[in-house]
Parts: sequence; structure tokens; C-alpha cells
Amino acid sequence: MNPRAIKGILIKDLKEVRREKMVVFWVFVFPLMWVTLMGGLWGSPGSPVTVDVGIVNPGGNFSTLITGVMENVTINGTHLFDVREFPDVSSGLEALKRGSVNALILFPKDFDANISSGLQGKVVVYFDRTDPQDYQIVSSIIRSFFSGVGREFRERKMEMMMAYIPGEYFETYNLSEERIREYFLASAEPIALEERSVRGEKGEGIRFYVTGFIGIQFLFATMLSIGSSVLEEINKGTLRRIAASPTTPWDFLIGKSLSTLITITVSILVGIAYARLVFGSTLFPSPFGWLIIFTAAVFSMSLGLAIAMLTRSERSTTAIVNLVSMPLLFLAGIVIPASIMPEWARPIAHYFPLGRALKVLRLSDIYGRPTGELMGDFTYVLIWSVVMAVLAVASYAWAIKRME
Amino acid sequence: MMALRIKGLRKRYGDFEALKGVDLEVREGEIFALLGPNGAGKTTLIRILAEGLAYDSGEIKVFGKELSRETRRLIGYVPQESIAYDLLTVRENLEFYADLYNASRERIGELIELFSLPEKKKAKELSGGFKRRLNLAIALLYDPKILILDEPTTGLDVPSRREFWEIIRNFRNEGKTVLLATHYMEEAEELADRVAVMNEGKVIATGTPGELKHLIGEESIITIRGLLKGLEGIGYPFVERGSEIRVRVRNPREALPEIVEILVKAGSSVKEIKIEEPTLEDVFVKLTGRGLE
Ligand SMILES: Nc1ncnc2c1ncn2[C@@H]1O[C@H](COP(=O)(O)OP(=O)(O)O)[C@@H](O)[C@H]1O
Ligand SMILES: [Mg+2]
Repeated sequence: MNPRAIKGILIKDLKEVRREKMVVFWVFVFPLMWVTLMGGLWGSPGSPVTVDVGIVNPGGNFSTLITGVMENVTINGTHLFDVREFPDVSSGLEALKRGSVNALILFPKDFDANISSGLQGKVVVYFDRTDPQDYQIVSSIIRSFFSGVGREFRERKMEMMMAYIPGEYFETYNLSEERIREYFLASAEPIALEERSVRGEKGEGIRFYVTGFIGIQFLFATMLSIGSSVLEEINKGTLRRIAASPTTPWDFLIGKSLSTLITITVSILVGIAYARLVFGSTLFPSPFGWLIIFTAAVFSMSLGLAIAMLTRSERSTTAIVNLVSMPLLFLAGIVIPASIMPEWARPIAHYFPLGRALKVLRLSDIYGRPTGELMGDFTYVLIWSVVMAVLAVASYAWAIKRME
Repeated sequence: MMALRIKGLRKRYGDFEALKGVDLEVREGEIFALLGPNGAGKTTLIRILAEGLAYDSGEIKVFGKELSRETRRLIGYVPQESIAYDLLTVRENLEFYADLYNASRERIGELIELFSLPEKKKAKELSGGFKRRLNLAIALLYDPKILILDEPTTGLDVPSRREFWEIIRNFRNEGKTVLLATHYMEEAEELADRVAVMNEGKVIATGTPGELKHLIGEESIITIRGLLKGLEGIGYPFVERGSEIRVRVRNPREALPEIVEILVKAGSSVKEIKIEEPTLEDVFVKLTGRGLE
């Protein structure tokens, strides 16, 4: 080991990285785009949704009342519904098919009459089920709106019924008015669901996506950077010179890895700070978290270097890394939680070292699992990283020998 | 003392044999040129010496010792392609290579001054001549006893070329040894104490430029410039070089009118005629039957 040569390579690489515009893009701008995209899509909790509904209203009192309520419901200052009235069902369905409304609500002609005579009022709702996710969101919002309206009606109705109950009835059966109200309520709604929210237990979305962004760095930037920078030195002829100098291959690879690690660390710090700035929340890794990050980075760099040395072409390396990384981006639990992934994809997240590393990082730093419990998983990642590093050095030595 | 002694050196690239048994001796303190056309094997030979490129058989001694990582430290090497990093400044490039070779920091300042290098400029902003000087400075960082240059002035304009030759001569005057590869016969002729003529992986002649020219014997060279036709009718060996031909003849007084008559009859318009001493290129043509370029 020659510390001066290692330092020389490290400093030279960092200077080159700092002055290379494309690298600045891949290392800094690209990750920020990801954080923005993922954070914006799924990360920010309770981002307001507005549902476009079409309504066909024959003009009765109750249906008009409900329509008015719909127009005015707000959540955190945003209207929950954007209501458009249609003269008849067919024009409303047309709009639904075109996608200009998310659902069509039809109040049949007898709706008002039924309600006012104490019968059940039926409402027909049309959905477009082409997009299952959209359907789930839209239908659950509309359902919960109508169940709220229903509850309101029920209470009015109950008051009316109470007025008809003769006074002596209470004495005969030794029941209070309160108690009867409770019985009525229970018979209409035997089970009540009460919603409560907890903070922190599952981790806010953005914390999940900050770790996801670290994973993306491993899949793309880290994997590509060292491999392509070694290829560049081969093509330029500088690697021949370095190989002919008293510097050993280990000095060279250590210098290069350190410069990559520093660049990646800076890029991760930028992403973390950016998430804090834009989404108001972020995740700063614990010391154990950093240990996982560096171990996974070694795996990723080694894999990239091995690919680069075996193909010896920058183009093929980029192609292979993308080919490997693109599917893994979605299947290795990096941007999509393993819990919502299809059954067949789960082993990938579990066994692919970068997927496992990210899982450990999340368990430790988002869900607060004690480090001791995670040692097994961490060892798995560590062993893979060491094996990969040995393979990478072997392929590097092989490539140097073949260099003519 | 021989600075370099090479015996029976062979090197294959796959099925192709680039060096077919090269023998060479370079004396300490001389400028020695490898002269040959592209593809002769000059770069291959140099890379074996300076970069540790593997070879198949043969023997190489540097100042009497086996070529190795240690003895290679006696050799400074300026490759044909620049090895400076474009995005680094002149000084930063020198610092990087100084770190690799564990050369002293003071040496960097000395070299910057010696070659009047603009230390704050990025390598990519340097002209061809200055880039070559930077590469020369890199090769001299650890004060080698032998300097090897591959096509040192290819691509340079005439003034930069002359300046570069001056630098190389100064180096020799300090008692160092220079081995350079070139396909410019002027370069070998002007600069070299001794020349090895290389062709197709072999050294076909070695000697001082004067000795080599004696290989041509009593012959002279007639050069004729112009729009030339009917070349196939000339009864003497010649080579074409752009709008000029060089004809090798024993008796120029007899041959000249003969040749001119043939050319003019064929419809040539002759602009200039000279009778010259033979050059190394003529030697090469005589030895191989083809030109250098
Ligand atoms: N890395 C290589 N792989 C395969 N063939 C090569 C390689 N380098 C040179 N050659 C071949 O070897 C021959 C000699 O090349 P080179 O040593 O570069 O000659 P010169 O420097 O005299 O022009 C050429 O025919 C060239 O094509
Ligand atoms: Mg060459």
C-alpha cells in the first residue's frame, strides 16, 4: 500500500468529478429529480385530492340539499368534490367515459318522495373501473361521503321517531330516553368504525423514499461510476501508465473507491437535505445506517467494476447496468415497499444484496429496530460485498493483463 | 556502457507477429532513432520497454540489468497520445503523476519553469506543442536516465517541432540517453546520433545517418516537381511524394536529360529539378522498395 499514490488518485478523481458536467448531473440533479418525483407522488402525507363528480339531479329538495353539501365539503381548505350537473344519464355517462368526471351520481325520480315518506332512498353511482387504483380512491371517497350523509339523515329520523314515543312507555319499561336513542342507533349501525391516526410508527412516506433514493444511487450512479471511470482510463491510455508506475492495482482501486464513496456520500447528503427543504421531513442515517450504506456501496461498485472489466466497453457496461438495474428498481423493494409487491417478486427484494441492505436500513432507521436484531441481515450484505469485491479485483487484474 | 541492449525480441498480437526478432543496442548518452513507416513495430517495441507490455521471447537489459519494475524507473516515457487529464491543470497533472512515482514537489516547479508551462491552464486548453511539453515534463518527474519518445513531433507545426528538437538535444547534452521513434526522416537525420531502420517488425539497418547513406553507394537523387505524367516510362527506381518524384541514379548528368525528355513527351509540366544527396528516406526505399509514408 502506497498512501501517497492512493491520495493522489483520490484527489485527481474528485477534481475530475467536480469539473465534469455530466457527472454533476448524474450525481446531483438526477437524484433530486427522483426525490421530487417519488416524494411528490407518494411521499407527502394527506396530499389533497379533488374528485370530479357528475350529478343527474331531477330537482327534489333532498337531492338538491345533498348536491349543495357535496359542492361545499372541504378538507384542509380544498374542495373534496368538483361537481358538474348533467341534464340526463346519457350525457353524464358520455363525460364519465371521456374521463372528464371520475364518477356519475344519479338521483332517481322517486328519491325525494321515498326519503320524505321515511323509506329508503336509493342513489346510483357509476364508476369507470378501467384504472383499479383510481376506482378504489374515487369509490371510497364517494362511499364515505354518502355514509356520512346517511348518518346525518338517520339522526334526524331518530329525533322524529322519539317524538312519537309516548311518555309512559319510558316508565313501564324503566328506560331512559338516552338508552332508547342508543338502541335505535345500534340497530341502524351495529358496528361503528372510529378512525385514529398515529404518527411515526410506520414512518412517514418521505422517510421511506429518502432511503429509496439512496437505493437508486446504488443501482445507477454507484454501479456505473467506478466501472466507467476505469474504462475511461483504459481507453485514454492512462491506466497503462499507472500500471507501469510503482503504484499497485490495490492502490489504484482503493483510491478510486474512496473517491466514489465520497462523491456518493455528498450526493446522499444533498438528497437528504433536499427532502428536508421541500417536504419538510427527511431521514438522517444513524452510524449503523451509514455502515449499511457503505457496505452496500462496496457491493454496488464492485458489481459495476466487474461488469465493466468483463465487457471492456463503456456502452455495454451502461446497457448491462441499466438492464439489471431498471427491473430491480421496482422489484428489489427500493421504490415500492415489498409488502405491496407481487408474491413472486418478494424473494428478489430479500436475496438481492442491495434490496436486503435497504430493508435493513429501513428497519433500523425508520422503524427503529434494535441493531442486534439486524446483525444477521447485515452480515448477509457484508459477505456479498466482500465476495463481490474479490471478484471485481480479480476481473480488474485479468483485464489489465489483457490490455495490449 | 550500453543503456539498452535488446536481443531477439519477439511479440505477437494474437496471430499477428508485430516484432520478429529485434536486435538493438543503444549507447549511453546518444540520441537513437527508430525510423520506420507506420506499422513497423516501433510503438510496440517502445511499450515493451516503457510500459511493461508483455513479450513472447527475447532479452532486454537496461544498463546491464534485466528489465523489471525497478529498472523501468530509469526510463522516462512520452507516449504518442497525451496522458494528461484534460480537466486538470498543468500543475495538477504533474502533482498527480508525482504522487504516483513518489517524485518530489520541488521537481514540479523546476519542470514548469524549464518548459515555460502555463501551470494554471487546463490540459485541454493547451496547444499541441505545450501538451507535448507537459507530457515530457511528466516523463522527467523522477529524473530518468533514459528518455523514450514515441513520434515526438507528429502533428506539431514546424516552429514547435524545432523547439522540441532543441529540448531533446539539451537533454542529451546533460549526458542522458534518448530513444525516439519517428517516421519523419528529417527528424532522424537532424537529431539522431544513430538510427535503426525498422520495417515489418524487424530492424533492417543500423548506423549513423552518414553510414546509412553509404548503403546507397555512389548514387545521387534527382527530384522533379510539377504536374507529372508518363512516370511508368522512367527507367530508374523512384518514389512519388505528392507532386514530386525522387529518382535514384548513378550518373545524374546522363540520366537527367533522358528522364526529362520522357516526362515532357508524355505531357508533363515540370516546375523544378534538383540533384540532391541521398536522404535516409532514399535509404529506406532502397532497402524495402517502398516509401516511409
Ligand atoms: N494492441 C494491438 N493489438 C493488435 N495489433 C496491434 C496492437 N498494437 C499494434 N498492433 C499492430 O502491430 C503492428 C505494429 O504496430 P506499432 O507497433 O504501433 O507500429 P508503429 O508504431 O511502428 O506504427 C501494426 O500492424 C499494428 O496494427
Ligand atoms: Mg507508433
